[in-house]
Amino acid sequence: MVCSIVVSGVTVRFESSVVLDGVIFSVNRGEVLGVLGPNGSGKTTLLRSIARAINPTSGEILVFGRPAWDYTEEEYSKVVSAMLPNWPGGFSMKTYEIVLMGCRNRSRNFWWEEEEELEVAKEALQLLGALDLFERDFDKLSSGEQRKVLIAKSLAQRTNIILLDEPVAYLDIKHKLEVMNVLRTLAELGKTVVVSLHELELASGYCDKLLVLNRGKIVAAGEPRSVISEDLLREVYGVEAEVKWDGDHNYPLIIPKTKKIPKEEIVCLR
Amino acid sequence: MSVALITSLMIGSFALSPNEILEILFHPDKNPVAWSIVVNYRVPRMLLASITGFVLGVSGGVIQTLTRNPLADPYITGMSSGAALGAAVAFVIPFLPIYAIPFFAFMGGVSTLLLCMLLAKKANAGPIGFILAGIAVGTFSSALLMIILALVSEKAHGILNWIYGSFSTSTWTEIKVALPVVVPATLYLLAKARDLNLLLLGEEHASQLGVRAKTLWRLTLVASSLAVATCVSFSGIIGFIGLMAPHMVRLLVSSDNRFVLPLAGLTGALLMLLSDDLVRSPMNPIAEIPVGAVTSMMGVPFFVFLLLRRGSRFGM
Repeated sequence: MVCSIVVSGVTVRFESSVVLDGVIFSVNRGEVLGVLGPNGSGKTTLLRSIARAINPTSGEILVFGRPAWDYTEEEYSKVVSAMLPNWPGGFSMKTYEIVLMGCRNRSRNFWWEEEEELEVAKEALQLLGALDLFERDFDKLSSGEQRKVLIAKSLAQRTNIILLDEPVAYLDIKHKLEVMNVLRTLAELGKTVVVSLHELELASGYCDKLLVLNRGKIVAAGEPRSVISEDLLREVYGVEAEVKWDGDHNYPLIIPKTKKIPKEEIVCLR
Repeated sequence: MSVALITSLMIGSFALSPNEILEILFHPDKNPVAWSIVVNYRVPRMLLASITGFVLGVSGGVIQTLTRNPLADPYITGMSSGAALGAAVAFVIPFLPIYAIPFFAFMGGVSTLLLCMLLAKKANAGPIGFILAGIAVGTFSSALLMIILALVSEKAHGILNWIYGSFSTSTWTEIKVALPVVVPATLYLLAKARDLNLLLLGEEHASQLGVRAKTLWRLTLVASSLAVATCVSFSGIIGFIGLMAPHMVRLLVSSDNRFVLPLAGLTGALLMLLSDDLVRSPMNPIAEIPVGAVTSMMGVPFFVFLLLRRGSRFGM
């Protein structure tokens, strides 16, 4: 079987700093891969490399057995969709106009959207519980609502590979779960999902496999139960915590050991 | 729009009523002098003003999208200064026929554009780099222009007259030259309106959504600049239409380029016709005011109004 994505020895350098260092992994069809790691560990750079927003300094990325950079823009947009950070703001657009932008890749009409595309946009928003935002001004939505609209835009591309950079940031617990449930079902429909997350419990509970980056290198990979551990929290995140696995679900219970900051350390901020 | 078109036929050094115009158009043999004035001077002038306004409006919208800068217009690419410099050079070179001026202006405009694109590419700073390069090249050619003006003060009046812009010399010849460039370029820009919307998100997001962002960026820039350079080389420099027209549509209708581009074109044509009508009005007995001055007079208050509103709704 051809893997959906094969990342072999990808290194990304920005001037003198190495952001990704020889990253190797693969994702199969129908899998949800969670990418974890502290801030600045290279999660976003990894997703951007797969989305072709960055051309890696060395190494190769194969998408369905074919080098990512061999695809044309039109072809690639039908295979890989991505929700990347730095969505530009500052122009007044309606929510549905943003979601419809995702439909451009399959559109046969170069000028107007077709009826079918509107249906796609509606379903994407509906799935994420955001259909009520349809006619709203995108710029006036809250960060969480904007997040959902941008996820809907990626889903509207109807690709086999979906890359999402911190899709649940800014969302409340209900919407976090909603987004993850949607991704889970899409994976069962045969899509491949790569998602970067800061929420360890959520990642563990919803992803088939986890990949942990630290300073641009993979430090752990595999099934959630083998990855999330007290050692990992200490070495990668610098957090002392107790990790408990309970029952047959994959949600760990992470109890941090509280570290009290002595009052004497606060001098100027008083 | 149609009112402005008809008014444009009526106004001139001798005024005509709508009925008289109809009579002149349909019965040329009754009053051959009037027929000749209307058909050979007023109609081409009206057409050229509309075409120029349309092109400036569309190109303004396109260039604002490409640079992702709501204050950009065809002139931020340094083209106006380049075109003015070209025209000045044509004035200075002795024994050049008068119709060499548009050609030199065109060459000046296009070469400053190419220089800007080259500089922006070397700088590798994206749309911002392009704007900075445009300002640098534009300022430099303005400086050269001033030196030329100082050196050949006896010809300065002719050069300035061209720079301020006017449709007073419009004939059918100019329309015949302009249309083959302007029509395909404008149609191409209008056809790409949906993809230009995606380009508003920046190259990275646009390619992600299936647009050949780099190619589209270059082709639309060249198409809009060619159209503008062609029009400007006949009419002289006309400010603010390219800035105003797209923003009027954005504020009143939508910032979807499928509305902005065609409507900005129509708005630009209308503004240009009105300005030109104002220029030729009977209140203005001695000489025609340059049309560029009128559009700027209308444009500056609007520009200030936009700046004041920027905090709330202003944007792309």
